[in-house]
Amino acid sequence: MNARETNAGNPQADVIIAAALRLRRQIPGDLHEHIVEAIYGQAARIVDRAVSRPGKAARPTFDRTLDRIVTSRLAGFPIMLLVFALMFWLTITGANVPSALIASLLIDQANPWPRDLAIAVGSPWWLTGLVVDGMYLGAAWVVSVMLPPMAIFFPLFTLLEDFGYLPRVAFNLDRPFKASGAHGKQAMTMMMGFGCNAAGVVAARIIDSPRERLIAILTNNFALCNGRWPTQILIATVFLGALVPPSLAGFASAAAVTGVAMLGVLLTFVVGWGLSRTVLRGEVSTFSLELPPYRPPMIWQTLYTSLISRTLFVLWRAVVFALPAGAVIWLVANIHFAGDSLAGHFIRIVDPAGALIGLNGVILLAYVIAIPANEIVIPTVLMLTVAVAGVKGVGAGAGVMFELESTSAVRDLLTAGGWTTLTAVNLMLFSLLHNPCSTTLYTIYKETGSAKWTAVSALLPLAMGFLVCGSVAWVWRLVA
Amino acid sequence: MNTAFTILAALTVLAVVCWPRQGLLARRREARDLAARARREDTLKHILKCEAVGRVATLDSIAGALQITTSEAAELLDELESRDLLTFESGPLRLRPAGREMGLHVVRAHRLWESYLAEQTGVAEDEWHSRAEKKEHLLTPEQTQALSARLGHPMRDPHGDAIPAADGALENDHDHSLNSVAPETPVLITHLEDEPETVYRQLAAIGLRPGMRAFVIEKSAARIRFWADGNEHILAPVLAQNVTIRPLPEFQTADLIDEEFLSGLPAGRSAHVVGLSPACRGPERRRLLDLGFVPGTLVEVELTSPAGDPTAYRVRGSVVALRREQASLIRVSSREGVA
Repeated sequence: MNARETNAGNPQADVIIAAALRLRRQIPGDLHEHIVEAIYGQAARIVDRAVSRPGKAARPTFDRTLDRIVTSRLAGFPIMLLVFALMFWLTITGANVPSALIASLLIDQANPWPRDLAIAVGSPWWLTGLVVDGMYLGAAWVVSVMLPPMAIFFPLFTLLEDFGYLPRVAFNLDRPFKASGAHGKQAMTMMMGFGCNAAGVVAARIIDSPRERLIAILTNNFALCNGRWPTQILIATVFLGALVPPSLAGFASAAAVTGVAMLGVLLTFVVGWGLSRTVLRGEVSTFSLELPPYRPPMIWQTLYTSLISRTLFVLWRAVVFALPAGAVIWLVANIHFAGDSLAGHFIRIVDPAGALIGLNGVILLAYVIAIPANEIVIPTVLMLTVAVAGVKGVGAGAGVMFELESTSAVRDLLTAGGWTTLTAVNLMLFSLLHNPCSTTLYTIYKETGSAKWTAVSALLPLAMGFLVCGSVAWVWRLVA
Repeated sequence: MNTAFTILAALTVLAVVCWPRQGLLARRREARDLAARARREDTLKHILKCEAVGRVATLDSIAGALQITTSEAAELLDELESRDLLTFESGPLRLRPAGREMGLHVVRAHRLWESYLAEQTGVAEDEWHSRAEKKEHLLTPEQTQALSARLGHPMRDPHGDAIPAADGALENDHDHSLNSVAPETPVLITHLEDEPETVYRQLAAIGLRPGMRAFVIEKSAARIRFWADGNEHILAPVLAQNVTIRPLPEFQTADLIDEEFLSGLPAGRSAHVVGLSPACRGPERRRLLDLGFVPGTLVEVELTSPAGDPTAYRVRGSVVALRREQASLIRVSSREGVA
């Protein structure tokens, strides 16, 4: 139309345009489709003429055989379970020793050193507290809890990915994901989420369909991340393991933690189903999944890249967020006004609300100031409980996070802080169902470029957490 | 103190209600204006569509189309006449040039918006029409033109209706319905009437799309049994009336029946791609083309997921998994010598 206007006065152009319009009407179907198909067809012909593949089978028999096995009806799922169970076992048991080593290095041995230095240069007590007890300790804690499992889990994950096994997992698991409106590749982002939600959100890039990718990002938080496993294991051991005879304690607590993780998987599907039928209706959705050829993994290169691109990337962001969090933790415990610390005031105000949903004020405050990293929830809870309940003889002073050696000591301290079995159960549920850590939120914002989706990903699990904890508390009180 | 508070409260309420453009009153007026404009435009659209198929719009047909009473329809016509959009003094209703232009714009905006929803969003097919019914009154001619340019000036909407040019005319090419063809005559489905919507939903639900090939197997006064792209369907003639077709003289019914789809191919077999079904549109279609499912390509069934779906295919040296619904949109031919 525009062309006709600009060519006004040129009769020949008018004739040509009219002829073009007439001819276009004679082409059946969509003109653009024809052009695209012609381009692809031409490209294929050029490739066939120009590229020769001498003496190479179209697809190696090894690949075929392996594919038959790992996607077979009989062996497909058992192999998958075995591989992932092995991976988690390696991560959890393998991380214990280096975690303790780093903790003793950074926290027990190295902590006095910057403190002495600070005192030596004559810094006032509050500066020493803020920088050493707050910021340094917060960051050191995150590093010691986070680094070892990630340094084991991510390379293992990358090795499987490089080898080509993970796309086969997506292939095997696509059916259930499809039922919830998601993509089979979400199995991979979920797995990654068990390591770290921020990494899981980044991994959602592999899903090229916009709607399915958003589902994967928004539900990644329901994969219980590495920062929350220790909380689950500790609370389950201390409170739930104690409910049954000692011979069954280990089994009961393991079953409780697995139950919470499975609940997370179930919610991933439920929430995905809900999202795809409500807010995500109308987003573009296409499916495709490439099964690349198997490749021998390049171990050293994999170790290097997964350490640099995943582990250090996540760790760096976590440390950046943990520094101010450490400062805040120290400050709320040490700024006093009207006869109490900031933490004390806050806990007193929110305690009734916390009690209503079967938690308490200390836990709520811990979850507010531990937004930067789930790893520091338990140390913060312990520190605040000591401060609020006025327990003598434990802890390292106001605003200084610590951990206890024995589970019975943890139990005694938390019981003194008013904890019951209900509190423990609800803490485990709330640990699964609350806003993602700030690292993950920031990553979600970077990946989606949308404040709206970031808000949804924070508020949706939080609302679910309040709802679930409230319901459990209500039923609990009804029954007990 | 109390008085001051009361005054403040009263002022707040007043502001919320009366604020220009944002207040409750202004918003209500705006909504009412829009509804009135929508009614006027729908009337013009109805008259234009009647004209295109050679019928004459009447007071009753307008009342029926807009679901209003005849007296309301009469009022509406009076208003349209006073705006110089139509005339009915000399007998039948006639559109004035301004009214014709407005009606044409609405039809154009509607069909372009449906194309947009089909090509560039994931909005479900049964929502296209109702969404476009609202959007057609909100798009300005400039926005409509920009939309057309963005979509590459499509000629037809996803239902097969021609999209009129801004200065063109509404054409009618829906002469032959499925009812009008003799059994065993290959035809191409060119259009599914999207009004009334309940009928369209039934047609779409059984999987009919413009661009499908079909032939009637048998028909009686009560029902019509036909084949369309691999499946047999039965429709009442009143529904079949809304399926527009064009004969395909270059085909035999045997050619049609021989058509195969990738989803029907057993494991280990291979076939050449013939083309993508017209039901495969927008991003989905581009994705399949990207993956190499272009006419002439050899595809081999490689693996099936333990859950039965998806299935992996080898195409151009790489292995790609597709879900069953996608594979059922790819026409293939396993006969030799067809490429």
